[in-house]
Amino acid sequence: MKEIKVENRREGNILSRVFDELNEFCRARSLFILHYCTGCGAIELPPVMTSRFDMERLGVQPMVTPRQADILLITGYVSIKTLKRVMLTYEQMGSPKYVIGICSCTVNGGMYWQSYATAKKLDEYMPVDLYIAGCMPRPEAIISGLRSLIRNIELGESNNWKKYYENYDYYLGNQQKLFGDEWQTPVDVIGEAEHYGLVGEGTYGEHTEILQRVQQPLKPLEMRL
Amino acid sequence: MDTQIFTEISLSEILVELLLMPVIAFLVGLVMVLWMRKIGARVQRRIGPPLFQPLYDVVKLFGKKTQVSHGVVHDIGIVMAMGGYIAAETLLPVPGMNGIAVYGGIITLTYLMMIPSLGLALGVGQCANPNGSIGISRALTAMLAYDIPFVIIVFGVAFHHETTNLVEIITQQQQAGIASWGAVQNPLLALAGLATLQGMLGKQPFEIYIAPAEIATGPMVEMSGKYLGGLFVMQAFQLYTAAVLYVSLFLGGGESWFELLAKSFVVVSIPMMIAFVFPRYRTEDLVRLFWKWPVMIGLLGVAFVG
Repeated sequence: MKEIKVENRREGNILSRVFDELNEFCRARSLFILHYCTGCGAIELPPVMTSRFDMERLGVQPMVTPRQADILLITGYVSIKTLKRVMLTYEQMGSPKYVIGICSCTVNGGMYWQSYATAKKLDEYMPVDLYIAGCMPRPEAIISGLRSLIRNIELGESNNWKKYYENYDYYLGNQQKLFGDEWQTPVDVIGEAEHYGLVGEGTYGEHTEILQRVQQPLKPLEMRL
Repeated sequence: MDTQIFTEISLSEILVELLLMPVIAFLVGLVMVLWMRKIGARVQRRIGPPLFQPLYDVVKLFGKKTQVSHGVVHDIGIVMAMGGYIAAETLLPVPGMNGIAVYGGIITLTYLMMIPSLGLALGVGQCANPNGSIGISRALTAMLAYDIPFVIIVFGVAFHHETTNLVEIITQQQQAGIASWGAVQNPLLALAGLATLQGMLGKQPFEIYIAPAEIATGPMVEMSGKYLGGLFVMQAFQLYTAAVLYVSLFLGGGESWFELLAKSFVVVSIPMMIAFVFPRYRTEDLVRLFWKWPVMIGLLGVAFVG
């Protein structure tokens, strides 16, 4: 993968920069988590949320839809079938969004390394901000991971969500390798990149050409009882 | 007394009050959101969110970089949801500020408090998410359920004080002391009012229309960024409106801000204390419960109004 440096520059005049600072300050202190719990990873999360470790004191709280969430928390292995759902979920989230991969399964496939049906490295398909390795990581490790994500966001260093727009061709290529060339999602990522000024060198490429060739327009769902 | 209430106030004074009242309501509402989350956390033996958490949430949601709108009606729906409460604040007298309460009265206020739910229904309708449609249909059914006892209570109180003017209702209670408070004079109405408050704030056992695990927060399912931020603001207004209205009707309002806020925070704590002890009712059970007990208690209360 070609590394493109994500610029961390401040835009606009002094007033808007003050607002940006305020925004980042608040963003780091208010994180809504969407859990995508596959496999054994889900077990260690209830203690993180409830009275023993209480992540609400960090301003982190669980949310239930991708639209409302800031963090996509993927705990455990992602099979190819699961990964499709994870992609749909990820693309529907509003930016800035962050992805946390928990367990060694999301890092390199873990104990499913030899499985034909498992996607091994999560960051080939979407930009991951933070890995919390372990099989399973303990709640202490998850809290410490959340703290380091909060620190990164506050310093303005966690801008991986921009990479998805700027390197869309790379990520789409990896998805097409698994799901076939007909793969498409309801979210128009290229359109969003153009609208929000996030087009990078890697946004267009051979894989997006395939997508544009095979893409079917979205149809409303048939109403049926 | 009439001359005292309807004293002429200048236009500029009214304009300042119209601006100030929603702003104060919003700030107090944010503290109430924090208060409720803290109580929830304490009941569950957690530490709970930090001091400025509600503000962080709202700023963050409005500061999201990508916003997903589902169309014009979606936008208007959220504006209606917030605007209904902002209009309601100007009709809710607080110490030192009456706004346009003397001209509006309690019936207009009751109407305005229904607008947010209708606005939300419009917005959710355009999102075309099945979970959202289920959620909002449940929410409107719940509104139908708690509005019947609510209207009975409002008319009972108006009948007792022989006026629909909220300013006068508060003044009457304040002049004659604690013995003339609504809660002492009409305890049955006050009791039915507490049940209605629980439904109005959508706390357990009456929160089936949110049901996070089953229908993914119902009406809020497609709301992201500033739309969800708008709903967070609406929630702050809702807590403030419901609490201050209850205090005005039954607890003698407030002669000073300290008194009003102390009473409002006590009132707001009650639903939250009850909430975490109960599971939830199904929609039809909720309607049956509301139309049976609070309505019966309320009607009995109206019968004893004197």
